Amino acid sequence: MRDRRLLFQRAAVTTVALVLLGGLAACSGPQDGDAKPAAGDAKPAKGGKLTVLNSDTQSDFDPARLYTSGGGNVPSLVFRTLTTRNREAGEAGTEVVPDLATDLGTPSENATVWTYTLKKGLKFEDGSPITSADVKYGVERSFAAELSGGAPYLRDWLIGGDSYQGPYKSGKGKKTLDSIETPDQRTIVFRLKKSVGDFPYLATQTQFTPVPRAQDTGTKYEEHPVSSGPYKVVRNTNDGERLQLERNPHWSEKLDDQRKAYPDTVDVRSGLDSAVINQRLSTSSGDDANAVTTDTNLGPAELAQIGQDKSLKARVGVGHFGYTNYLAFNPDVKPFDKPGVRQAISYAIGRSSVINAVGGSSLAEPATTFLPDQKAFGYTPYDHFPAGKNGNPEKAREALKKAGYKNGLTITLTHSTEEGEMGPKVASAIQQSLAKAGITVKLKGLEGNAYNEKRWDADGSPGLFITRWGADWPAGYPFLAPIFDGRQIVKDGANFNNAKLDDPAVNKEFDEISGLTDLDAAAKRWGALDSRIGEQALTVPLYHPVYQRLVGKNIRNVVISDWTGVLDISQVAVK
Amino acid sequence: MTVQDVLTPGAGAPPAPGPAAGARGVWRRLRGRPSAVVSGAVLAVLLLAALAAPLLTALSGQDPYTYHDELVDSASGGAPQGSFGGMSGEHWLGVEPGTGRDLFARLVHGARVSLLVAAGATVLQVAIGVAVGLAAALGSRWADQVLSRVTDVMVALPMLVLAIALTTVVSDDFPRPLLLVLVMGSLNWGGTSRVVRAQALTLRGLDFVAAARLGGSRPVRVVRRELLPSLAAPVITYAAVLLPSNIVLEASLSFLGIGVRPPTPSWGQMLSTATTWFRADPLYVLLPSALLFVTVLAFTVLGDAVRTALDPREAGRLRVGTRKEKTRG
Repeated sequence: MRDRRLLFQRAAVTTVALVLLGGLAACSGPQDGDAKPAAGDAKPAKGGKLTVLNSDTQSDFDPARLYTSGGGNVPSLVFRTLTTRNREAGEAGTEVVPDLATDLGTPSENATVWTYTLKKGLKFEDGSPITSADVKYGVERSFAAELSGGAPYLRDWLIGGDSYQGPYKSGKGKKTLDSIETPDQRTIVFRLKKSVGDFPYLATQTQFTPVPRAQDTGTKYEEHPVSSGPYKVVRNTNDGERLQLERNPHWSEKLDDQRKAYPDTVDVRSGLDSAVINQRLSTSSGDDANAVTTDTNLGPAELAQIGQDKSLKARVGVGHFGYTNYLAFNPDVKPFDKPGVRQAISYAIGRSSVINAVGGSSLAEPATTFLPDQKAFGYTPYDHFPAGKNGNPEKAREALKKAGYKNGLTITLTHSTEEGEMGPKVASAIQQSLAKAGITVKLKGLEGNAYNEKRWDADGSPGLFITRWGADWPAGYPFLAPIFDGRQIVKDGANFNNAKLDDPAVNKEFDEISGLTDLDAAAKRWGALDSRIGEQALTVPLYHPVYQRLVGKNIRNVVISDWTGVLDISQVAVK
Repeated sequence: MTVQDVLTPGAGAPPAPGPAAGARGVWRRLRGRPSAVVSGAVLAVLLLAALAAPLLTALSGQDPYTYHDELVDSASGGAPQGSFGGMSGEHWLGVEPGTGRDLFARLVHGARVSLLVAAGATVLQVAIGVAVGLAAALGSRWADQVLSRVTDVMVALPMLVLAIALTTVVSDDFPRPLLLVLVMGSLNWGGTSRVVRAQALTLRGLDFVAAARLGGSRPVRVVRRELLPSLAAPVITYAAVLLPSNIVLEASLSFLGIGVRPPTPSWGQMLSTATTWFRADPLYVLLPSALLFVTVLAFTVLGDAVRTALDPREAGRLRVGTRKEKTRG
């Protein structure tokens, strides 16, 4: 039945296509009324209304406050930045490309100075020109305490960034940041404390969005931020629970080769349960036929369901994002101070049961490296403690024996009680595979929020726990430095360097590579560094997640880049 | 209750009958009631299965903890291979999606935890509830005020919040099932207490209680010989409602990570992970929910039967679902 309908649909589409090709459109009357072209078959066209169904609300819709990777997804419809991610599917999507600027920036003085030139003729939504002063003001605002939320890199890297309080501060403090210069209306210069090769990646974040000083309303700016992108905000309800966007007439296609902006309006509805989102997308009734989601993945059960339905399967896009789920050790807790114990656990881990516990091979790929398996990160394959698919108990026992645990060992594994990537099923899978090597694992579950606090707790993270890490942009620095750079160990607050690795040689390598402006050369060295650190068994990489995104039945031009792993709504068409 | 009431018989409510012809009479009446026999048998089978869980799983050659990666289809979300949730000669009720753990083994082992914890908690709730309710009803006006207000607070307390708070202070080595019994038992007795207090206040005014008191019986003896037997019916009925709700409560506590620790199975835990699978692998959801449903139903029916058996006078009037047949007949 299902197959027959599908066949009929295909036949109908073909007929219409042939008729149109033959220039006989006028005679095709009866067919084209009921034959809707299937997704992806026809050329995407302008017009229509796109609905976005999300679970997380688009709160704090202010370019200074958003923590985005590559300019974000919904934000990048309204905010343009100096550079942005390449809007292409797969690996090509991990590249950084110019956006407001004419190029990726010109480094000088050993990559401590970055100069950008804006394109000619850029305009805000009110028709006024976008100048370099607006970009500088946008960056400055992000330093204000009341507009917190962005990534910490600007504060760490810009000269004077650590003491600057933002443009609103009255009193002694300076109102402007001198390390950003605007010699003319189209040129902007950033002066940094150290060499930063990754600056073009950083310039993709929404903090590099131009903000006209005259229209800045401080914390209220998020209600109606001035658009530089293809859409402007019509209404923002309940702090981003619903965001209605329509075309920005002053945005020019000619000056933006990245955003396609096919639909006329975009309606972002959020605060929905992920099961509801996927159900609505699969049913695709009414407006939901023109709907996508930018934050919801298909779960294991939904995947099993969709696997039985070919027409639904055709509507699923697969995405990757630089992410690694791993076991972290805190070597301050015994017996994890002993490399032999950590090696034994690395040998014993059965990755295929861990992967099945999070939804199987469609949702996760086994990981033996800490860096994600993408070229942009400098992925260099290594497997220092080969465990195969189901673990290698013999090697694990050997390592344990060497470490002085002849009769096995009892350890505690801390996990979240919420089902999912860090939940009880994964923990039990690990317990199972370690048991084969004579390691008795006691499970300690913590409620979700408590667990998240405990994971990054500077002085009390558990000895062994399940965790994960993703990158702010697809390169080695933001992926490795917070986890393994000794100078990023935090005494109180959130510490990501759980292994407390503080190796002068490694630290030096971090400094050297992060100064390279040749991103390909840098990537190679990040890969080598990852492999070198991996020898110490400070983490047990488990898997890299894979994302399965369902879209409504009318959606066309689905582009999922490896930078974000979600479909890019600037590319989506509903007609 | 005043002396006047006692001196003028018939002024108060008609005397309630005492415990009818002892336990043997109750047993006889229960046996004569098919619903009671069936529900009792169902519960007995469940209890036996729970008790004999290790034996049963040994018989099937499975255990509730071993992962079987080869039995799930990794590429399609970890759904069990084969039809009906992967049912086979080895895995009688199929396997759990994602892990391939044997469902039959997990269900019977889960029954142990669920029934044990729920039963333990119910006993504790009833014990505390009866004690507090009786003390409130029979004590001084002050005692009644204080105890009744405490009861109100217990009823109003957000149970889950308290339970979470309790687990942060209790050491990890404390056995979880016992902790669950204590937490659920000590926090959820308010309802029983209210019922007992109200019933005891009514009973206190009846002639047979007054007679016992005037006859020189001490309060403890009055409670034991006169009040408790008459309280048995409402308390047992209430307990029959509490027990299934405790099974459900155990489920929600397990979900919040303060129930039994994984990989130990319990019905509640199974249900909470199964809900998303209702379309892809219906059996995975149906099995624990059907068991929970049958258990709750059996307890409710049996509770109702026991109540009517204890109080035959009420039987015709109050028995659930009998009136229609009677008028028709």
